[in-house]
Amino acid sequence: MTDSYDIAVIGAGPAGMSAAITASAAGARVVVLDDKPRAGGQIYRNVTCSPLSNTDLLGPDYTQGAELVAQFEACRAEKISAANVWHVGDNGEILFSQAGASASLTAREVVVSVGAMERPFPIPGWHLPGVMTAGGAQVMLKSDGLVQDDAVFAGSGPLLYLIVAQYLRLGVKVKALVDTTPKQNYLAAASLLPGALSHIDVLTKGIGLLNEIRRAGVPVYKYAEDLNVLGEQQAEGLRFTSKGVVHSLEAEHVFLHQGVIPNLNMTRAIGAEHAWNRDQLSWQPVINDWGQTSVAHIAVAGDGRGIIGADAAALSGQLVAWQQLARLGLISLSDAANHSQPLLQQLQRYQGLRRFIDRLYQPVDALRRPESAETMVCRCEEQTRGQLKAAFDQGARLPDELKGLTRCGMGPCQGRQCGHTVSELLAQWQGTEVEDVGYYRLRSPMRLINLTELARFQPHQQTHGVEVKS
Amino acid sequence: MNAIAGNRNKASVIIIGGGIQGCSTAYHLAKRGVDVLVLEKDRVARHASGVNAGGVRLLGRDIAEVPLSKVAMRRWQTLDEELDGDTGFRRRSLINIAADEADMQTLHTRQALMHQWGYHHETMIDQQELRERLPHVADYCVGGVVSETDGYAIPYKSTFAFRQAAARAGTEFVEGQQVQGVRRIGNSWLVETASGRYEAEYLVNCAGAWADQIAVMMGDNCPMTYSAPMLMITTRMPHFATPVVGAVSRPLSFKQFENGTVLIGGGAKGFADRAHNRTRLDYAKLAVGASNAVDFFPIMRTATVNRMWAGLEAYMPDNLPVISASVNSPNAFHAFGFSAHGFQLGPVIGEVMADLVTRGCSEFDLNPFRVDRFERKVL
Repeated sequence: MTDSYDIAVIGAGPAGMSAAITASAAGARVVVLDDKPRAGGQIYRNVTCSPLSNTDLLGPDYTQGAELVAQFEACRAEKISAANVWHVGDNGEILFSQAGASASLTAREVVVSVGAMERPFPIPGWHLPGVMTAGGAQVMLKSDGLVQDDAVFAGSGPLLYLIVAQYLRLGVKVKALVDTTPKQNYLAAASLLPGALSHIDVLTKGIGLLNEIRRAGVPVYKYAEDLNVLGEQQAEGLRFTSKGVVHSLEAEHVFLHQGVIPNLNMTRAIGAEHAWNRDQLSWQPVINDWGQTSVAHIAVAGDGRGIIGADAAALSGQLVAWQQLARLGLISLSDAANHSQPLLQQLQRYQGLRRFIDRLYQPVDALRRPESAETMVCRCEEQTRGQLKAAFDQGARLPDELKGLTRCGMGPCQGRQCGHTVSELLAQWQGTEVEDVGYYRLRSPMRLINLTELARFQPHQQTHGVEVKS
Repeated sequence: MNAIAGNRNKASVIIIGGGIQGCSTAYHLAKRGVDVLVLEKDRVARHASGVNAGGVRLLGRDIAEVPLSKVAMRRWQTLDEELDGDTGFRRRSLINIAADEADMQTLHTRQALMHQWGYHHETMIDQQELRERLPHVADYCVGGVVSETDGYAIPYKSTFAFRQAAARAGTEFVEGQQVQGVRRIGNSWLVETASGRYEAEYLVNCAGAWADQIAVMMGDNCPMTYSAPMLMITTRMPHFATPVVGAVSRPLSFKQFENGTVLIGGGAKGFADRAHNRTRLDYAKLAVGASNAVDFFPIMRTATVNRMWAGLEAYMPDNLPVISASVNSPNAFHAFGFSAHGFQLGPVIGEVMADLVTRGCSEFDLNPFRVDRFERKVL
């Protein structure tokens, strides 16, 4: 084992695995660090070792990942799994902890392929025990085969419908699907439909999921708004308005989901420039066509560059690899261009579909920027919208200033759950653009690290002196 | 070119730098009815004043600083009421731990010196009392020294409280105004930034890690350096330490806040890139800090580090600040170079600077803090 590489890939989802396969096949010395025991990322989590006896129930989008995972396992890249990467420097230094100790390595080029996280869903009561994200429910299913009966699923987006369908196929009872996609989104997205027809299979799959849910007899409440999780100490149900009628459903488990946003703590802490994506209503790193960020030698692939979906993520991983191979001098610029061209074209073809999906499932303002003063914004430090507004009224204008006065964003989630909400609320209160407000200033550790593991960190061993041949 | 619309561009006093010293000076001047403008190159409390360890420490001060620090400590006890704000100050006592007999010897020598000067606020404690005060301290620690009035405050909130109080008293703060040049024309100071021109009778340099640049513009050279002291903080832990903790001879300092989080410092420095407002962390040194923390307090083995950071801070060769009238220009004053222990002095420095501006003198002996103190030495 060595500790310096041509390329380090952080995250072994579709993008990272694809980058590693392409780069290692072309002769680069590649290392892949992933926080899970097995490769696959969120989407292909445990696809090769599922606790479920019949993974087909999870759908072909899941099972097809097994092939990519197998290719990845067979490729020559060195794999470091169950590694907690807590620092990636703009100089290519990577610090991680694994099995109780910290270690370091360096790489000439870095691929950040850390994927997406579910968009926070700040409604009254979302912080109560019993409320989880739908993605969290899926993780329990994929990792441990755990499910919850009689849960209410609420929100919008393909992943929500997929998880409900997966539950139903496993025979789990679902209390209701509360769909927050507003009517105007269907109208607005309709005009973008022609651009998405090249991926008609994806569209039909989506419609199929909804039909499957309806056929199973699950009540579907459309155009839901004014969502409130009921209960004081614990979730007891969900209240909402659908088509002008107020409904209160009793449930011990409420699963929320309104799409995914890029995982940004790593690219932010590295110091890459970020911009606000007005279609996806989320921050994303500023990149060129190949995924190169504003920081030399740091590229992003997959959903971490802006949400593109698993198939496009795999393409973006290959793309990054070709560019880095050229920069490393392992292939010529013209070879890189030849390999990149078809990938760029294929990625381009996903854009029409993406625009349609983004528009159709664009979360409404009220579900991103809480309106009631009592709604929790920062769950870790228990800061409500009202408390943040009071600090704003005192003079805090930037996320870090709000953080300094209220501690919002200082907790163990490292701002992941409140960062977007805080940026958007500050922009709203000032009547300015989210871009002008910015985000928390983040730095390493990008993940929590145990103090003893940190204490055991030994810096990189430098070798001194020049070997002289006699 | 004029000042930013909506802001005045003339005042009696312009303070350069919106850290705790600048905000406190503004507060003290404004309270006396002086017309003050603060120019801040970024945002108020953006650098060291907003991100330091929050130590409010009288213990272990250089003899020259003790009179200032004692007055400041009195002020901290009632600062929230005075400023009508929330500095987060908590009186918790501060204990410097002696890890061995050599440390105890160091403390005895210090004790003798303090008594000789008539100072009795530092009290030595033996092993038994150390354990009573810090039940989780490692068994091998033999004693220590305590200062009862010490504690901590929340740096951003403290600086903000001074700013708010100053603003209420009429001080104007203009942020995003990096001073590019100052000129002395007649009886006025003209100050230029990228987007504004300002004018005042008096200038006060509280520019922190950039203060040597401002000093040069005012005509005073000084051998200031800057660095990036690093800190890290854990997620919440069960309560185990009430006093703020330091060590006599090892780079360790930590405090557990009311919410259970533990801030670990100790003076290890990262890398400072002040031209770009940036710092880099030195993880190997942070690892040493982590190791020391676990070594002194085994309970911290299971602690989880949540955040690490560093701020840009100014240092002088003798680790004493510059608190001084300019030697080469009239109506110009300096307060900078606090060498990572200026936060506690904030309340008194504002008062001293207000005295220098309005009365031309201070009740404190400021000779050790003269801006030209290094020029008299032959290097």
